[in-house]
Amino acid sequence: MPTAFKLTTAKGLKSEIYVPWTPKPVWTPLTKPLNQCKVAFITSGGIHKKDQTPFNTAGDWSYREIPSDTPSDQLMVTHGGFDNSDINKDVNAMLPIDRLRELVKEGFIGSLVPTFYGFMGGGGNVDKFEHVTGPEIAKKLKAEGADIVLATGGCGTCHRSCTLVLRCCEAAGMSTCIIAALPPIARQQGAPRITAPLVPIGSNAGEPNNPQMQMGILKDTLNAMEEFDHFGQMKALPYEYRHNV
Amino acid sequence: MSLSQETLEAHLNDPAVLCCRRPAGTVLSAADFEDPAIFPDLVDSNLMTLKEGGLTIQQALGATLINDGEALTQLTPDLLDGVKDIPSASDDDESDDSADTSASSDDGGPDSCSCCGTAGEIPTPVAQASAGGYVHLHLDKAEGLDLVFPAGGAVSGSCPAAPMTASPAASVPPAEDDTPADRVLRTLVKKDYPVTKVVIGSETSYADGVLTVDGSLVEAAKKADPLVKDVEMTVINPADRHVYSNTIMDVIPVAAKAEGKLGEGVTNVLSGAVFVLTGMDEAGVQVHEFGSCEGYMDEKIRYGRPGCPDDNDIMIRVDVKIEKGTGMERRGPFAAHSACDVIVHACREAIKNLDGVKPIGEETFKDVRRAGRPRVVLVKEIMGQGAMHDNLLVPTEPCGVKGGQKNVDLGNVPVVLSPNEVLDGGIHALACIGPATKEITRHFFREPLVEALQTDEELDLTGVVFIGSPQVNDEKTFVSERLGALVEAMEVDGAIVTTEGFGNNHIDFSENIAAIGSRGVPVVGVTFAAYQGQLVVGNKYMDAMIELNKDPEGFENEILADNTTTPDDAARAILMLKTKMAGIPIEPPEHKWDEAVIEANKRLVK
Repeated sequence: MPTAFKLTTAKGLKSEIYVPWTPKPVWTPLTKPLNQCKVAFITSGGIHKKDQTPFNTAGDWSYREIPSDTPSDQLMVTHGGFDNSDINKDVNAMLPIDRLRELVKEGFIGSLVPTFYGFMGGGGNVDKFEHVTGPEIAKKLKAEGADIVLATGGCGTCHRSCTLVLRCCEAAGMSTCIIAALPPIARQQGAPRITAPLVPIGSNAGEPNNPQMQMGILKDTLNAMEEFDHFGQMKALPYEYRHNV
Repeated sequence: MSLSQETLEAHLNDPAVLCCRRPAGTVLSAADFEDPAIFPDLVDSNLMTLKEGGLTIQQALGATLINDGEALTQLTPDLLDGVKDIPSASDDDESDDSADTSASSDDGGPDSCSCCGTAGEIPTPVAQASAGGYVHLHLDKAEGLDLVFPAGGAVSGSCPAAPMTASPAASVPPAEDDTPADRVLRTLVKKDYPVTKVVIGSETSYADGVLTVDGSLVEAAKKADPLVKDVEMTVINPADRHVYSNTIMDVIPVAAKAEGKLGEGVTNVLSGAVFVLTGMDEAGVQVHEFGSCEGYMDEKIRYGRPGCPDDNDIMIRVDVKIEKGTGMERRGPFAAHSACDVIVHACREAIKNLDGVKPIGEETFKDVRRAGRPRVVLVKEIMGQGAMHDNLLVPTEPCGVKGGQKNVDLGNVPVVLSPNEVLDGGIHALACIGPATKEITRHFFREPLVEALQTDEELDLTGVVFIGSPQVNDEKTFVSERLGALVEAMEVDGAIVTTEGFGNNHIDFSENIAAIGSRGVPVVGVTFAAYQGQLVVGNKYMDAMIELNKDPEGFENEILADNTTTPDDAARAILMLKTKMAGIPIEPPEHKWDEAVIEANKRLVK
């Protein structure tokens, strides 16, 4: 170690490149064509079956198993982090369960896993989502044979909780993508893939009762997953819906 | 996304915005505010607008919401009861411009040097303890002079530098006087021989400035590899460059060892003519990956870049046609490079022995151990993902193919070359990436950072580490970790990490920088990012970055080597490293690529 030396320095130098701080990359390449993929959907937007225990809106890291053949009118939302009126009109605005079944029927995707997962990510406990909820959901989805895990966030902290769970799924060998209403948060938290329609939180998967938009967002997201070739990429989707609450 | 208590404290003077929907009557605390670090992104994506007259977090903290508030609502006095009357702090924050995220970089964790954050206002001289255990003494009047010595009593008796408590006036030692002598490890002399004319003839020879290339070498080149289907050779004089060409895969100088092995002794170099390898496959597909620079050669080459032909260079174009469909496999481009090397090698043979011929120039390069100066390492990330992405390390002849070890076969692990080995053609690049960002063979032969670091008497350049960018994510982590261990063993005081290209290799880039930075070694990163190559990953160690973009719009523009390292870029990177090693803060970047920042930094280079 030198004891005394001269260095030419300058005051006022500025770093020339903006660097987003993100966690370590985690990546599972998508290797199958979409029409052979088994697809899962998870949401941190507080969706559960009407006969299940509602979430604690002050913060809750538990999750609800939602069979993927559940009729959409048997689903509801319990979430205090955003205006619920859109989901109350049409739960597909957060968990597009009807559209996913249509995608299978169309042959656009291969099949759905038997079970989707709903949780309430608002104010989510980072440690629990990263080390308990995330690994549990990932393990179950992997066991059900998921190739692809799609997700919607909800509010800001929901996007964080959702991304933490998706990263667990990606690490467990599934290709994941978040449909983000708040893409900066998904990116900052290290989401492996992000698509971003211009939608408000509360209808992250598209305008309620607008199957065409919901379908478009899903298809564009799945197609983008085939294009993404490395961690952290994002694609803006050409859908816009404004909800003036 | 709500704030933690620690994050809150770093953002007290930033705008207060609700992170989530909050009911009337909520008494605002950390958990209710959105993280200001992502405001610029939110504003850019039209998710939020920031108006004048908003409250700061400090002002809004503890106040009560009058009505229900939606997520991403900016808090203004009319929305709250019990707002604290605290003057806005932004007035005296010199770097603040409304939605600026500068504060996000001030909370850079335990490794950032918060104690130096106000260096600009401190009366001179002043000594400060900084990260890495140094005392940083700054004198405003001795411009550009900073003395750095270890804090904590490790100063030896003969060291003229004073501990922090000493009188400042006594602490201005003539540091150079005590500098131990340089130790030259090896010397390389490049002798330049002029080429004023290139002709294709019946025998390869060099005499009186005329390089004659045996036309029948084309037939030998076709036999270099079964994948080679055709080879054509053309001489393109500087005045006749408006000729169409397939994409340019490489630029290769003619250099041959006259004495000694690579990195030492004498290398004879032809000055005024270079080989240019171009190629496509039998189906007419250009041999390229991300963007191609096929087109008119006067338009598609940034003449004068370290990797490119110079303004007055004669180009000997070797155009290779390879088997259909092999352009994006590793073996196809390798076959093209092997074919070209048959011809280049014949020229090398012709200049190996030029006894009695007078060179027009001579350059001497020395690998020097400069004891007593900060030890630095240059880390160069190269591509190792198959297809064209490979590099041959330390071939037998300068810039050659034969004898070179393939980076991909070595598993992309870090390999150390001496600076002289690099500058003596120790890398034959099969790189493709984008034409504008790729570092090709001639680039390494006159690498600006290697040349500048090697001759910098304030630094002790320990070596140049080449590390590949593997295709598989867990291999990326493996090689980055090995780099960290290597750098730890080298006991360096500073590092510069460069990468060619952009995209997934930026994952390696950020991991490589973290592997070094997390070991307490100041590190500067050098890459093309600008608009098209914006980083998607990053970490807190990437706080001193040099932008290589030269395109006005910030794009990978398909002009050969346009966005590669120049001597200007190298000078900024070295100044930034020295500044960072001295514990002087590097200001956080703008949120977006801004050419003005680069221009301002250039002006700070003396």
